[in-house]
Amino acid sequence: MDTTTISAKSLIAVDIGNTITRALFFDVVAGKYRFLASGSAPTTAGAPIFDVTEGVWRAIEELQFITSKTILSEKEGLIIPSTQDNQGVDIMVATMSAGNPITVVTVGLLDNVSLLNAEHLAKTTYSEIIAKISLNDRRTSSDRINLLTEKHPDVIIISGGTDQGASRSLLSVMESIGLSSYLLEDSQKPHILYTGNEELQEDVKSGLGKISKLRIAPNIQPVLGKENIYPAQKELNEIYKDVRMRQTGGIRDVLSWTEGHFTSTASAFGRIIRFLSEKYEPEKGVLGVDIGSFATILAAAHAGEETLRVFPSLGVGAGSKGILEESSLENIIRWLPLPLPEQVVRDYIYNKSTYPSTLPTESDHLEIEFALAKQALRIASEKTVPSLHRRSAFTSSLLPPFEPIIGSGRILTHAPSRSHSLSILLDGMQPTGVTTLALDQNGLLPGLGAVSEINPLLTVQVIETNTFLNLGTIIAPVGYARPGTPILRIRVNREDGRTFTREIKFGSLTVLPIEIGEKVSLHLRPLHRFDVGMGGPGKSGKVNAVGGSLGIIIDARGRPLRFSQDQEKNWKRNETWIKSLHKYE
Amino acid sequence: MLSKVRHIHSLTNIRRERVLPVVGHVIVRRMQKVSPTDVIVVAPRTPRYIMLEIAQGLNVSPARADELLQRQAGDELSEGDVIAGPVGLFQRVIRAPKSGYVKIAGEGKVLFEISAQTFELQAGIEGTVTNIIPERGAIIETRGALIQGIWGNGKITYGVIQPVSNQLLQELVPEQLNIGYRGAILAAGFCKSAEVLEIAANIPIKGLVLGSITSELIPVANSMDYPILVIDGFGSTPMNSAADGILGANKERNVSLNAQTYDPFLGKYPELIISHPTKSEPDLPVESETISTGKKVIIVSGPHAPQIGTIETIHPRKQVLPSGIAARTAEVSYGLETRAVVPLSNLEIIKE
Repeated sequence: MDTTTISAKSLIAVDIGNTITRALFFDVVAGKYRFLASGSAPTTAGAPIFDVTEGVWRAIEELQFITSKTILSEKEGLIIPSTQDNQGVDIMVATMSAGNPITVVTVGLLDNVSLLNAEHLAKTTYSEIIAKISLNDRRTSSDRINLLTEKHPDVIIISGGTDQGASRSLLSVMESIGLSSYLLEDSQKPHILYTGNEELQEDVKSGLGKISKLRIAPNIQPVLGKENIYPAQKELNEIYKDVRMRQTGGIRDVLSWTEGHFTSTASAFGRIIRFLSEKYEPEKGVLGVDIGSFATILAAAHAGEETLRVFPSLGVGAGSKGILEESSLENIIRWLPLPLPEQVVRDYIYNKSTYPSTLPTESDHLEIEFALAKQALRIASEKTVPSLHRRSAFTSSLLPPFEPIIGSGRILTHAPSRSHSLSILLDGMQPTGVTTLALDQNGLLPGLGAVSEINPLLTVQVIETNTFLNLGTIIAPVGYARPGTPILRIRVNREDGRTFTREIKFGSLTVLPIEIGEKVSLHLRPLHRFDVGMGGPGKSGKVNAVGGSLGIIIDARGRPLRFSQDQEKNWKRNETWIKSLHKYE
Repeated sequence: MLSKVRHIHSLTNIRRERVLPVVGHVIVRRMQKVSPTDVIVVAPRTPRYIMLEIAQGLNVSPARADELLQRQAGDELSEGDVIAGPVGLFQRVIRAPKSGYVKIAGEGKVLFEISAQTFELQAGIEGTVTNIIPERGAIIETRGALIQGIWGNGKITYGVIQPVSNQLLQELVPEQLNIGYRGAILAAGFCKSAEVLEIAANIPIKGLVLGSITSELIPVANSMDYPILVIDGFGSTPMNSAADGILGANKERNVSLNAQTYDPFLGKYPELIISHPTKSEPDLPVESETISTGKKVIIVSGPHAPQIGTIETIHPRKQVLPSGIAARTAEVSYGLETRAVVPLSNLEIIKE
């Protein structure tokens, strides 16, 4: 549809990040919506200003400077809707990730079932699970009351009991929750999100409704083995907004400018990935990863069905110390392509956590940041993969195939070269089979996610332009062999009739120099029962591919990547791999 | 571009809000002079609760248990006071397990609140209480030197500052520590050894102020009983010249050292304050300012950290750094004739 047929509206999407607030400007050019410019400023959610509007204002001011368009007026503030003389904007949407994670206590019946469901739900937003209560934990009701009054979480998520399932045991836990809510000061009373056995909803309302801020969502696991998170996820997002509104100055103003079109950055990110999964190949699904300063987000969607995981304290700025705490220094150092003393790496990580907006001036320091990004993605991926395997043929520790995998975040978009960006995504995510790695080069994904709800046409038209940069088609055979063993024969048929073949050896990273946008047909013949996603181990097949900015990359390093105990060997190997990618750039 | 202002001032007006997150009892009055370790507000700690199963304990129905209750919600009890009973052949009773209150009673149960100990909030700085925040705390003001840091081990003290050398450029080593430093707050360049922190604890010193510390020592530093304040960063870099100068000029003066945990989001910085009796009325320090030519800055990251210099020029376009990243940069002059190209994001404004 051409935009001239509808009422075209200019739009600003603001993202209030932990370190930076960005304002993205979209408008209609030559009958189509386009992303036109962005402005940014330091986020002012915390000290000393404690009001997000200052940062939003400054980001829009920069946008005004870049576009030479008047958006703010000294008297009236944001000019919304736009005026006859083209001042201001028509619509504003906002997303937010700034602030400490909301604190959550999860409550369920069994550790591996309902408690796990509640944990999955908590991880769909910026949260920290500070305690878990289940029937297995042997806590008395006094212990539970003391736990909840002492920790006074922002949210208690109650899950448990399939419909027509357990009820008495859940009610006994809820008595403790009710009493603790009653005992806490009004300002400390938690939100309660009930997602358990639907037959108990009336009991929950009568028991907890008057003494707490209660929300009820459909059962997160209505029948055993079937997780239905999305409705509860929407409720949790509403709670997130409410907590932020209570804790952060200026949110009410943002809500008023956006007429309520305000959501968490993670939720908007999940929404756009779901949107894309409906647009692209629903069979394979779309995977999006966002590496931020404080948090990493992983969102996967198959035909509109979404899996969203947010990992606060796992970022390449303020969250970099979290990566060290979550894994180990050794696991970060193994990604480096050069020898650096452990102490230098650890000190750099601590300094980066302290001064998150600083930039690495030296290449050693840049490599530490790339290593952090790879390790953040590894942790996020390993924790999410089990939830992604409902449709996959691969073993559960490996990432199932997606088409495409889209990377977002400044560490990827501001890297000195595209091979750096590709290397982070390739090592961090370790895709399997055949997939495309793409880059959200202007950092539009959360903004487009927020917009998609009110103006899907804008989202579609902007995506169709230059939103994603194709980094390259990846072919990653699954299996192991001795280094140097031939594991794949590949024949490349170009559109002009020329062909060439390659024999790929295990342990290598090979770039096929296919021009960006060039369409080729690939015939893949795996050896030694390697699996290239053609229907099983050893199965051959044909696949059409498009060259990315780095061509087509055959990643024959095995899955998952294995490392040597000897860090020197790892450094040398990493250096070789990075050189392989740089060669054709 | 807006930059954070790093607070290293030889003379400024300092105002600190010291409040509890819960309701308490403020025990200072307006215009009262306080020292850092003076308690300004007390509040009960989060109470502990015990759920007493009265019906189960007396072996009766919940309804009968309610009839046997001798106390009601709000009653204050001493340890051993009877709550319910007697009943049965053996005149069974339920007694208060500790001193406390009956919080809720009914349906065969009693929720009992154990009397909690109190929590005391210290002033943290030497100064005058200029305002009382009812039931929460107070605002304390003073004038003097202020040095804010980036890491603290959560402890507070007050004592005499003793720089270990004229310039705080060197590593603090065991040989420098002696009994002459007993009871002093030491200032040194940097620390790389756990042994140094332990020897200092045995002297014992009252506190330690460092330019930097290797991150490996953080667990040991956290376990020390004395406060440790790190001013510039993690590693082996000397103390920045502005802080060094202030500490040197105030040698053997009393300082308040509040090595509270660093939380920039909440605006909590570990800090050192040296109150000066002065009639001048300096302004409150600003928190952020736009970076521009001629401003004094501290380099917070990269090979030139923590040098303090002046912005000579700001490049109008992005420059490619040695790392390959393109960024807005400034040329900063420092020392005698050194110039460095530094990303704007690696600078903080300093107003000595």
